Amino acid sequence: MAVFPSVDWFDEVRNVFNADDRYRGAGGGYCNCVAGLKIADHVFVLTFDGVECSAAAEGDDGTLDDVDFYLDMSAADWRDMVGNIAANGAADLHHTLNTLDLDRADGLAMSRHGDQVREDLFFRYNQTLQFFFDASALVETAFA
Amino acid sequence: MADKAAAKPSPPDRPAPKPVPAKSTQSDEKRNFEPKYNWMDKTRQWGVRVKPGKAGLKLGDLNVGIYGETPTQWTDQSRNPRGAVPRRGMPPVGYAIRDKAGLWADCAADLYEEAIQRRWAPATDVPWDTIEPLPDDIEHALCQVCTELVSYANVDIETITGWQHQMSYGYHEVKQFLATASFDAARHYECFRKRALANGGGLGLEGPGMVNRMILESRGGWTEAVVYLLVLRGAFTLTLYRYLGRYAHNDAERFIFAHALADKARHVTYALDHLKYAVAHADDQLQVVRTLIAIGEGGLTRDLRDPVLREALAVIFGGGVAKAAHRGMAVYGEMMRDYVATYLGYCEWLGMPRDPARLPPPLNEFANPPDAGA
Repeated sequence: MAVFPSVDWFDEVRNVFNADDRYRGAGGGYCNCVAGLKIADHVFVLTFDGVECSAAAEGDDGTLDDVDFYLDMSAADWRDMVGNIAANGAADLHHTLNTLDLDRADGLAMSRHGDQVREDLFFRYNQTLQFFFDASALVETAFA
Repeated sequence: MADKAAAKPSPPDRPAPKPVPAKSTQSDEKRNFEPKYNWMDKTRQWGVRVKPGKAGLKLGDLNVGIYGETPTQWTDQSRNPRGAVPRRGMPPVGYAIRDKAGLWADCAADLYEEAIQRRWAPATDVPWDTIEPLPDDIEHALCQVCTELVSYANVDIETITGWQHQMSYGYHEVKQFLATASFDAARHYECFRKRALANGGGLGLEGPGMVNRMILESRGGWTEAVVYLLVLRGAFTLTLYRYLGRYAHNDAERFIFAHALADKARHVTYALDHLKYAVAHADDQLQVVRTLIAIGEGGLTRDLRDPVLREALAVIFGGGVAKAAHRGMAVYGEMMRDYVATYLGYCEWLGMPRDPARLPPPLNEFANPPDAGA
């Protein structure tokens, strides 16, 4: 059983996501970005290339300087989101990335480089990112 | 990143090999047909072999050698495809937009590919069967918002297509991307109309349309239209989609607003990239865009004073008429603050920061957090 958060867990989600053609049609598909995830003090980086998530890696706080955007939540909020997806098969309306972004005073998605076009990739690829996390419903998860 | 396309062009001055004409047959001779194949050496660069990368053979991958040359002004007035040999004596078409600064965005080719690959079909991709009856007040409100969004989409289509044919062929990446943007808008027109007619409601009251008129009647050039259509209105529509997705009543609405958001985000990306390019490459353009923004804000505020959209959104966000005045209007205020923050962020990034205090009312009311100055 993969432990969230870990590279192993993200790799398992990648395997599900990359193998499911449904995520490529109907508004999904082509996605080219590097997304950071700040999970309390842990930092992970997901690379989306073409129609697949090609890599997941662990980083450090400095890594977030270079990503297109990063999603920043407390460990409890991440756990709540992943747990909701596991329980429902996909995020319910209160746990989508869009809702989580709107419900936070400073937003969920942010960047340090100040490039608006790169930061807006969060909106352009929002559905693909949602598909990615929704794919975690098929990964047996233990929480660290 | 995907593999870069590779190309092995032959020297530009070396013509394509010219085959030796086959001997004519008796029947050819009867028709007095003597093929010369002299068009075969008419090429500016031969031997190009672009290769697909991980995401396929993309439009931007074709920009190799002379085929990637995009001069600051496109003087050819014909429909000659970029890189082809011009034919002498072609009558001019009369393109009005021939300066690269008037339309260019470096990201246009990638956005085109993205739009093509991320396309969706409202008829079959939206899970329409998840729509269930809603309370009358909420259905009324949603249909009213859809009515407004249909007219926004129509203005997108008319504005983009109205300028597209005036753009020089040499900048085909932009023309092709804008073709997808107008198709996106057609899709939005379609799906909002379908939502309004799918659940026992119908279309509501036409919006005041001050911004629509301002956008459609702008004559100062495509860049001016971009400011009004894709920055001022675009950022507003983007924010609307986000909140309507947040307060969706079923999977069909979630799907519609999430996907319309992605489409609109592409349009805004083009706009920001184009304006960044325009102000960097055209004299005085920074000041021109700054002036356009101030004019546009005035038009937008006239629309915002109309209560219909505001009330309909408050009903949706509040979960009905009973909670519209308090909870609904509070969420409407959050939405407007998000919109103004996004808009001011765009202005800042473009190098033309706006003083929130100088925004016209009611925009200035949303420029700060609700408790600011309390």
